[in-house]
Amino acid sequence: MIYFQVLANGLVLGGLYACIAVGFSLVWGVLNVINLLHGSFIVLGAYVAFFGYNLLGLHPFLILPFAGLLLFGLGYGVQRLAINRVITAPVLMTLTLTFGLDLLLNNAMLVAFKADYRKVILDPPLGSVVLGPVYLPLDRVAVMLLALLLTLLLYLVLRSSKIGRAIVAVRMDREAAALMGVEVMKTNAMTFGIGAFMAGAAGCLLSIIYPISPLNSSLFLGKAFVVCVLGGLGSVLGAIVGGVALGLIESLSALWFGPEYAVTVSFTLLIVFLAVRPTGLIGKRGYE
Amino acid sequence: MLHRVIRTTSAAVVVFAAVSGLARPVSAQNILKVGAPLPLTGPLSPEGTKQKQGYDLWAATANDKGGIKAGGRTYKIEIVYVDYASNTPRAVQSAERLISEDKVNFLFSPFGSGAAKAASGVSEKYGIPTLAATASSSQVYDQGYKYLFGTFTPNDTLTEPLADIVAKRNPAVKRIAILARNDLFPLAIAEEMQTSAKKRGLDVVMFEKYAIGTMDHASTITQIRMAKPEWVFATGYINDLILIRKQMKDLGVSAPVVTMVAGPHAKEYIDATGPLAENITSAAWWHPAVRYNGKGIFGSTENFNKMWAAMYPGVEADYSQASAAGVGEVLQLAIESVDSIDPAKVRDALAKMDTETFFGRIKFGPTGQITSLEPPVFQIQGGKPTVIFPDYIKQAELKFGVQ
Repeated sequence: MIYFQVLANGLVLGGLYACIAVGFSLVWGVLNVINLLHGSFIVLGAYVAFFGYNLLGLHPFLILPFAGLLLFGLGYGVQRLAINRVITAPVLMTLTLTFGLDLLLNNAMLVAFKADYRKVILDPPLGSVVLGPVYLPLDRVAVMLLALLLTLLLYLVLRSSKIGRAIVAVRMDREAAALMGVEVMKTNAMTFGIGAFMAGAAGCLLSIIYPISPLNSSLFLGKAFVVCVLGGLGSVLGAIVGGVALGLIESLSALWFGPEYAVTVSFTLLIVFLAVRPTGLIGKRGYE
Repeated sequence: MLHRVIRTTSAAVVVFAAVSGLARPVSAQNILKVGAPLPLTGPLSPEGTKQKQGYDLWAATANDKGGIKAGGRTYKIEIVYVDYASNTPRAVQSAERLISEDKVNFLFSPFGSGAAKAASGVSEKYGIPTLAATASSSQVYDQGYKYLFGTFTPNDTLTEPLADIVAKRNPAVKRIAILARNDLFPLAIAEEMQTSAKKRGLDVVMFEKYAIGTMDHASTITQIRMAKPEWVFATGYINDLILIRKQMKDLGVSAPVVTMVAGPHAKEYIDATGPLAENITSAAWWHPAVRYNGKGIFGSTENFNKMWAAMYPGVEADYSQASAAGVGEVLQLAIESVDSIDPAKVRDALAKMDTETFFGRIKFGPTGQITSLEPPVFQIQGGKPTVIFPDYIKQAELKFGVQ
């Protein structure tokens, strides 16, 4: 009986993890930039939701497009003004740059919002539905569904829009894309902006589930990293598969080995995947 | 040429030495330096910042009242802060630097039991009286050191009264599930709770540790639901406890008693959990609701609360902030009682001290850890922490039932 509940927990958690990781995966896969700002972008999105809900009374789900666009602007600007300048340098350079930018953003948030943990408390709360032995918290289910919907939208954008095709082209071969007339720098900025949009949207959604504080950005970043390695980089489907896999692995290992080892198991798998299958479950070899 | 350089340089050195030799006594006599290594950045920065607020309040209050008088002189207090960036080895280096280079007269320990213990060897070596505001583990004090004094009682003083109250008031509470953050203080307090529970014949149906950085407790809470305990005892810090409380509700876990340490004392916990905070019990070394008639510069607890509110409007002091202000007051009382800032004399005064402050009665045991404090147990009732123990400051009775 307990397995039904634990599997349900794992699936819903996996949805949240996918939501955390999809923007990070896109940026890493397309730009080959390990965006250490990602966790702080999520937290900033959550703050937009928090203040939107508490000051304006707007539901976080309604604030989502606004938070996403705000973060899009920020991400676009960061890529255009800073990261594009070193985009062709070795990956360590962009890693260091995003590390520095993250220090700036995270500390700016600490100054602006303080380190206090806050949370969006929905009134009335969404509650849980009970299906036999299984409790399903509706807020988590709603967040999971919205995250999947957003991810589907991203997939459609990448598949069918002009900018989406440009992003995919840059991901496959930067030089060839440039020779075909794709404006690589602009495409980079759009990609980073979309990654930030997804992070902001994720923050908005997660604000009803997790406490909000700049101190939590590293937790989100850590999860995004594991999900991407498990699922495979740069593919939208990879983030979903990686997220759900991580959610299930953590839930089951907490049950089998105790919660003390749930995180250890997921990081051990990360190392195993890096050694044995660096492309992840879904990713394709050769895309860097 | 070389001679001239040497002559000029030596002359300059002599002049400088004379000037600084003349200048030094004037300023040094009037300033009492207290070193305070704190984690002002990094993961422990919220705690470090809180502790700093307590020290600052003491220094500002004492300086406003003219400073500390000792040996016919009046000293202004200067707290020399060093940020050790939440890195314990750097806390030890900071303590060394503060004593050997900044020449501080006294030291306040870094945050928490681990760092306080690590740094205590340095102040012992130099014979500098050191006050620990936030170290509770008895392992910090059982090293045979003479210069270390701490204002937190051992962890079992937090779990014993609560276990007593629950066992007496509701004999139907027989099964307890304990969920602990695998971290120094949260794990120690959970183990104390396990001991307190077993002592009273309670059945510990679950004792699980979760890793630092855990973002989901659903599996463990599902297991708690299956174990059907009447008492859920969870330890961790605010972030963990907000999430655990939320997930308990999500997964339909309710119990007559739910205790969380350390989080519910803070307004941010109550704000972030909203109605879910109701009837959560907790314990801490101090609470603004306690009432003591202090002899130091802060006077009574009520007076301290007013002074706190004047300096930090809108923020109620918690136990770590109060303890930080308290160690300042205790140091001042010790200095004034011997009318000297001599480290050895002040150390002896601290060892002999038996007085009341806004923080509670201050009497240090032979190890240097306070023995006189009776930490309050409280429960969130009507959205506010309400003291349910000790009896003489009790504001309400313990209520059972957490939905």
